[in-house]
Amino acid sequence: MNRALPEMLQCSDMTVLQRQRARLKWQTEQLRQQNYFCELSGVFTSQTGFQQGGLMNGAGGGDSVLSNMGMSRQLKPDPGLETAWPELGKINMGFGSCGYGNGPSFDMNHAISRTSSCPPAVAAAVGSKPVEVKGNSEKMGSAVGRESFKKRKVEKLQNSKVVAEDEYKRIKASEEEEEESKITGPNTIKISNNKKQNSGDTSKDNSKVSEVQKPDYIHVRARRGQATDSHSLAERVRREKISERMKYLQDLVPGCNKITGKAGMLDEIINYVQSLQRQVEFLSMKLATVNPSLDFNIDNLYAKEEFPSCTTNFPTVGMAPEMTNHSPFLQFNPIQQVVSGCGVEMGMGMGMNSSDMALRRTISAPVSIPDASFLNTTCFTGPQQQIQPSAPWEVELQNLYNVAFTDTIEASDLEMEM
Amino acid sequence: MRSPCSLKQEFLKKWIMGIQRCNFSKKKLSILERKKAIKLSADVAMASLRNGTTCWSRALIAKAVNQGNDEKHDLVQQMVKKAPIRSVSCNKRMMRSKKILKRSCGVRRRKCAAQASTRPSSIAKRLVRKRTRILKSLIPGGEFMNEASLIEETLDYILSLRAQVDVMRSLAIASENQS
Repeated sequence: MNRALPEMLQCSDMTVLQRQRARLKWQTEQLRQQNYFCELSGVFTSQTGFQQGGLMNGAGGGDSVLSNMGMSRQLKPDPGLETAWPELGKINMGFGSCGYGNGPSFDMNHAISRTSSCPPAVAAAVGSKPVEVKGNSEKMGSAVGRESFKKRKVEKLQNSKVVAEDEYKRIKASEEEEEESKITGPNTIKISNNKKQNSGDTSKDNSKVSEVQKPDYIHVRARRGQATDSHSLAERVRREKISERMKYLQDLVPGCNKITGKAGMLDEIINYVQSLQRQVEFLSMKLATVNPSLDFNIDNLYAKEEFPSCTTNFPTVGMAPEMTNHSPFLQFNPIQQVVSGCGVEMGMGMGMNSSDMALRRTISAPVSIPDASFLNTTCFTGPQQQIQPSAPWEVELQNLYNVAFTDTIEASDLEMEM
Repeated sequence: MRSPCSLKQEFLKKWIMGIQRCNFSKKKLSILERKKAIKLSADVAMASLRNGTTCWSRALIAKAVNQGNDEKHDLVQQMVKKAPIRSVSCNKRMMRSKKILKRSCGVRRRKCAAQASTRPSSIAKRLVRKRTRILKSLIPGGEFMNEASLIEETLDYILSLRAQVDVMRSLAIASENQS
């Protein structure tokens, strides 16, 4: 008996409704706990009380119908279920206008991609395309609205799960296979215990179904062997969101690929942010020393704005024309500075060292222009994790070299007024 | 995702504009004042590029407005253009109320922390919590965010900082080469 249900659930041909109907039928045959149902109905009424206004009254009514059905053990869950779902649907419409779009859809994109046994047909039918589009267009920056939406979303999660929960709780009660589930036996099930014990559970990856019903909010199904009450479900959603964002951070922060734990990742992030902030401080101090009157040269600016692509190319171009005119000895300094600056950045150190290294290196062998440019690209691509193709870059370099060169020649003395 | 290079260019323009505005007002500044002006205009330029969509940018602008005198206030306002000062004052009020809330919650939390166990999971949790607190202190306006949005803000902040550092460095090198 225990086997039949999972197989059925994994069948991808059935729609959600059909599956749930089958599940309910199976459950009512299985379960014998009056106690459990009493508590369920108690929980539902308390949860519905928790909802906003009279919007959930319909669903609440449906729930009590369901639980009553359960208690009397009549096989009439279907009408109850059917009445509950459309009402939920209406409620979704109402809430949908709140502009959830960005927040939940972001997660749903992830949820869809993660499901193993979730029938893709169902997910697709539900309209994953608009969800995915939303998910893709979501920017990192839109965190503001999301904060307020999150609270509402958690409430809505609990709302929406009201109907679905009773079924899963019954499944849960009957499946005593997993050790993670601290529900010891059907007789001792208490909802309050669930909340306490399972809120700290780590999710196992016996993934059943994480399904998306509508793009407006998340329908999360409990995984096999896990808590099914709304708090732990909501918390799992939250945790997954956080871990997903940590993955993005892993790509962004250099050197985080090997670190897996949250604490280690946070440590790296903290170090990185601190070093970036220190670099800003140092650079602003440096600019203050270099530039006693705080005006920045228009020619300087002009040459900079020639750059359609990265501004990091500028130093080499700025130096290139000067190298042909200055004495060879003076050439080394700027190149070395750039190179050493790159090297230091690679090591995530402070820029403070660059001037020392530059002084040391001025005595070294001459560095030719192509070498410097090569070094420059590798240096700058390293920390930025972008692969700049060398060929188009060098073409650009040539163009900019010509422009900058003509500018500096016209200026007639290479010491620009600062 | 907007391209990093366009971000840098926009940042540069705004920053230079801010510095030039600073320059017109005063004749002789000490080195520290100059550094502060440069840094301030850089930070505000960075934050204004986000147009108030991220929490850290708003918090940064609010801090800049709070610290500065009237001149800097005008400077900031010009740089940000939108009419942020209204939202900045809202931010201030929000921050004050959130601070009060946090203080009241903190008392309860300290009592729970007294019963800490020595299990590895709780040690890990403690580490994570400590580091989250440090991260919150680093990110401007970070004390008032929950964990998920904190990580998002960090992402955005790191990107902006990186662009800022790159532009500043190249400007510094360029101006060194020319002098």
